[in-house]
Amino acid sequence: MAAYAVDDYGRDPHLVAALSPLARLRWNVHVTGMDNVPVSAALLVCNSRKFALGSVYAALGLTEATGRTIRFVGRPDTAPLGALMRRVGALLAHPADVLGALRDGELVLISAAGTRNGRQAGVVPYELIGQAVIADVPVLPVTTISSSFGRTAHVAVGTPVLARRERTGPLAHVELAEQVQHDLQRMLDRD
Amino acid sequence: MGSELGSLVAVKLEAQPWVGSLVGIDADPPRRRLRKAEFHLLAPSQRERIVDVVTEFNPHVLINISVWEPNARVGLHDARKFTADAAMSIIGAAAECSALESVVVRSGIEVYGRGRGSGTRPDESAPVQPTSEFGKMLANLEQQSSVLAGRTGVAVGTLRLAPVLGKHVPSPLGRLLRQPIVPYSVLADSPFAVVADSDAADAFVAAAAARLGEPLNIVAPGAITTLQAALRGRRIPLPLLGPGWGLASRLSHIAGAPIPDHVMEVMHRGRLADGSRAAEVLGFTPADSTPQVIDHLYAWESVVRIGSISQAVA
Repeated sequence: MAAYAVDDYGRDPHLVAALSPLARLRWNVHVTGMDNVPVSAALLVCNSRKFALGSVYAALGLTEATGRTIRFVGRPDTAPLGALMRRVGALLAHPADVLGALRDGELVLISAAGTRNGRQAGVVPYELIGQAVIADVPVLPVTTISSSFGRTAHVAVGTPVLARRERTGPLAHVELAEQVQHDLQRMLDRD
Repeated sequence: MGSELGSLVAVKLEAQPWVGSLVGIDADPPRRRLRKAEFHLLAPSQRERIVDVVTEFNPHVLINISVWEPNARVGLHDARKFTADAAMSIIGAAAECSALESVVVRSGIEVYGRGRGSGTRPDESAPVQPTSEFGKMLANLEQQSSVLAGRTGVAVGTLRLAPVLGKHVPSPLGRLLRQPIVPYSVLADSPFAVVADSDAADAFVAAAAARLGEPLNIVAPGAITTLQAALRGRRIPLPLLGPGWGLASRLSHIAGAPIPDHVMEVMHRGRLADGSRAAEVLGFTPADSTPQVIDHLYAWESVVRIGSISQAVA
């Protein structure tokens, strides 16, 4: 009987388990930097190459590596795709959704704006980064590198991003988002 | 006090050491045996009588559960009228009570609405943007209560309940799920959360004791989809697409389980809410999870003939 249920956010663990082998056929994900992931809530920010589904394989790899559910952001709010993505753990790109999950102690993964070059970090949405400031949780950069045709995909978790200055107003969100983009780019250049 | 939830709250309040005397008003007689409470059978439209009873009693705490969910006990038109009449009478009377310290109002998570882009799991800070008739009724009730709070300075607490289900609770969602064939949206099959009637009653008692002064979501942990609920209850799930819903809705109405718009919204868009603040403020956590509430919904005892009991006793 307990098999027929979803979690508080509508994620269906049995559907995820059923789809995971298919995802593994497409991606062979190597995860590094797991020591940087805190035991409590955190906002993870990954770079994103257009159409590479970086946040999907990063969420898959990190879920397997941590044993915790990674809530990745970016599902549409229309059926059937939005409904299906909700069942595999996706949230809306809505500040309230991100804040609620962070306050609930979840690991939330958001994407920087998609770029054509996989080695270039796009703009990080400060509206979503701001929710980490409000919830007072760390922000970690996550690089995703994959091939368009091969199976190999690399996911690396960086150290928590520190704001350069103490701000009390909304500048804290903008500056932290810029800092995350900068740290992501530094990690991509180094890898 | 006459509804299933109202009677349950009254029984639980009677057991509280801090409750001295208790007076209840409803259009239906109580469904449980009440030992201490004084009950007045009054229709929501009898405003002057309701005001007399409330002001004469001059309570310290007033709990307003007078909400008629569309297609639960009455149709939409009557539900809207009865809820508005009761709110006017009770909140109006509350404003005249000098001893009043706290008002607890029943609302629902339908007030958040399920419009495009609305939060997956709204907490109490989410904007009130109802998208169903029931949600609008509840939002009006909350608005009237906040006016009362502003004018009198009385603490007004609002409990936004997830759909309340229980063995004897009249609920359009419960009725729909208990049909032999349960329709579900094949494209969405969105998750929703519910709360057991006993847990909802406990929340009212806790809110009254704590003199709650803010809105709180009362939601059982976990979630379930319509398909999953039907499978748990060993019902036949009927997958439906757009136009099929019109026909299914009419057939369901004929079968005795009308599907109002707020239940249709649950089927298509889901209904979740973050109930963690209730634990922080009231120390209240529902005893039953959403899947357990659904299991209880399907675990009704079969009809037992009184004759067979007599024979067994003899």
